[in-house]
Amino acid sequence: MASVAQDPAARDPGGSRGSAQGRRALPGWRELGARLLALREGSIIVIALVTAIYFSVNTSTFLTGDNFKTLLPYFAPFAILAAGEVFVMILGEIDLSIAGLYLFAPILFYKMNTSVGMSLVPAVIVALLVCMVVGAINGVFVSVVGVNSFVATLGMLFTLEGLSLIISKGTPVATPGGQPPLGTFGKVFGGGTYSELIWAVAIVVILQVVLTFSRWGLYTVAIGSNKLGAAEAGVRVNVVMIRNYMLCSLTAGLVGVFEAVRSATVQPNPAGPNEILFLAVAAAVIGGTLLTGGSGTVVGALIGALFLGVLKDGLILQGVQANYLLFYTGLAVIVAMTANVFVGRARRGTITRG
Amino acid sequence: MSDTDEAYEAVERLDYLDRQESDRPGFDRRAFLRRTALTGVAAGSVSTILAACGSSASSGGGSTSVFGSHPSYKFVFVNHVTTNPFFTPTQYGIADACKLLGCSYQWTGSENSDVNQMVNALNSAVTAKADGIAVSLIDLHAFNAPVEKALAAGMPVVAYNADAPTNKRLSYIGQDLKLAGEKMGERIVSAVGSGEVGLFIATPGSANLQPRIEGVEKAVRSSGKPITTHSVATGAAVAGEQSTIEAFYQSHKSAKGLYSVDGGSTESLAKVMQKLGLRGKVHAGGFDLTEQTIKLLGEGFIDFTIDQQPYLQGFLPTLQLFLYKVSNSQTGPFEANTGLKFVTKETVEPYVAKSRYEGTTTAAAVVK
Repeated sequence: MASVAQDPAARDPGGSRGSAQGRRALPGWRELGARLLALREGSIIVIALVTAIYFSVNTSTFLTGDNFKTLLPYFAPFAILAAGEVFVMILGEIDLSIAGLYLFAPILFYKMNTSVGMSLVPAVIVALLVCMVVGAINGVFVSVVGVNSFVATLGMLFTLEGLSLIISKGTPVATPGGQPPLGTFGKVFGGGTYSELIWAVAIVVILQVVLTFSRWGLYTVAIGSNKLGAAEAGVRVNVVMIRNYMLCSLTAGLVGVFEAVRSATVQPNPAGPNEILFLAVAAAVIGGTLLTGGSGTVVGALIGALFLGVLKDGLILQGVQANYLLFYTGLAVIVAMTANVFVGRARRGTITRG
Repeated sequence: MSDTDEAYEAVERLDYLDRQESDRPGFDRRAFLRRTALTGVAAGSVSTILAACGSSASSGGGSTSVFGSHPSYKFVFVNHVTTNPFFTPTQYGIADACKLLGCSYQWTGSENSDVNQMVNALNSAVTAKADGIAVSLIDLHAFNAPVEKALAAGMPVVAYNADAPTNKRLSYIGQDLKLAGEKMGERIVSAVGSGEVGLFIATPGSANLQPRIEGVEKAVRSSGKPITTHSVATGAAVAGEQSTIEAFYQSHKSAKGLYSVDGGSTESLAKVMQKLGLRGKVHAGGFDLTEQTIKLLGEGFIDFTIDQQPYLQGFLPTLQLFLYKVSNSQTGPFEANTGLKFVTKETVEPYVAKSRYEGTTTAAAVVK
């Protein structure tokens, strides 16, 4: 199994199942892909589905067209954030600064548009380029300098949040291009009903393909599994790490702009993004990406985000009070993840014996 | 939905893999059963947990004798800090009004002023076909479109606690925040006269706090007195607030006054005043009445606090929405300024008694 071979704890070193081998054994790639789906994301798909069915049965409003639209922003932004984060997590690192970029990018976009006088699209591009530069700095600190990624990106998180407060003077402002009636820019960049969903699906598909089939993806997994080994084998570890951090920062900045356009306001309040950070990392982990690195899936992150979104939307539709919402969400996540672990373990048990 | 297809496919793949397994000589039937059982357990236990989440807060009520027979209306309150103790009396206000009028309610939104989360919750309320919505408009722009959508769907929407002037909401029930800040600023000017003043704000920029600090700064500026204000963000977490305030004072020992513009920072400020023994040396004041703030105000550690009657911010919106519903929009919404009431050491005495109106007890009783 590809997932097993990518897992450092794989107990079957003799099996011809690594993704590298999978790529070589091309005729079997369809089967391999199918197995991948069945294995790594399988249990979370089942659990997300059970949750959705539960709410469909127990509320009259969950399974409606209206709620489909309502549900989208509950998971699409997190799916995009998690997709980028997966690339860093597979390396065995973490990027906490995504919350800072989520906050910082729309403020920069606003400043570029209003103070510098750039038009909307160039302003977004500049904001996102700055995000990528921040990502590169993160990557350099983690890979070249060797600062622990948790601390390095935590520092970057605080720096960016502070900078956001300084630049914005702590005042929320109206998002350029996000005010009704929405123009094309607003509709494309998060304001349209399906905008975030389309972006999320596109980004997830592209990144999953990159992860599974490209050299970049292969190197990422290799570094996460065995950094030294990858370096010995000629992988330019630093380059790959910096590139992944840049990707992660780009997705975070993008989501920041989307959410600012969607809510028509650029908020300098750091408290919200800090919670979003947790949810994005949680979505990735729930989806089957290891915090210890070496294994991960972008599609899984999407399903993980979907599970969290369905849970929250469903509970609110059911009329759960805020104080209970956290409690039930917490319990449901623990139960679901415990189940996930056992299901995964049992599956691996049957498979590695083959 | 495509997710369904994917899941179907996943299950089919599993069956397919299992079949392969069973064909193999080493197939372990026990492992197979265990896996199947676990999937079942997973599904079952999630449902059980979720089954415990049925909605609450329904009530009978004897209002039918006054208003005629009406359904049990359900009102949704979207809040920016749902778990903040400040809003405990607000929730009691809603609960009491609902009991009185035979309605039910849901308290939801964000825990930390995340506007996007609040918009999501507001949209969910519209989807769930609530009979009325009350929302704290902590942002000037974000709620315009969602509120208009709700109004277009025939749901009355009122604002409470924080307001946005351009919003189409039917009414606002709460404090005039900027005015409250200006009044505080005037107090600061007359108490301090000159020198350095620290202003503490939990989350700079949030529309329910920022107008207060701007009001304070405006009043200080327009007084023309040589007062330098330093605004300090204390953060949303209560634990960090106290140390932030302490650190500010340690580095500004010449400060003549310390003032907070939110309830959490006010309580923390009072505690710092007590801890560092600043009573009588430094002027201090703030907003809202937590149990600790009431106690420390009574002991004179701060000069005043400004009450905005959080109970009414729950009771009145419920009443307004209810009247709107039973009168089919003929009556109900009206602007209500719930408070600009300075409470001092001399006037704090009634607040010491525990009550639902200050959220210090759950028991309903006439306060003595």
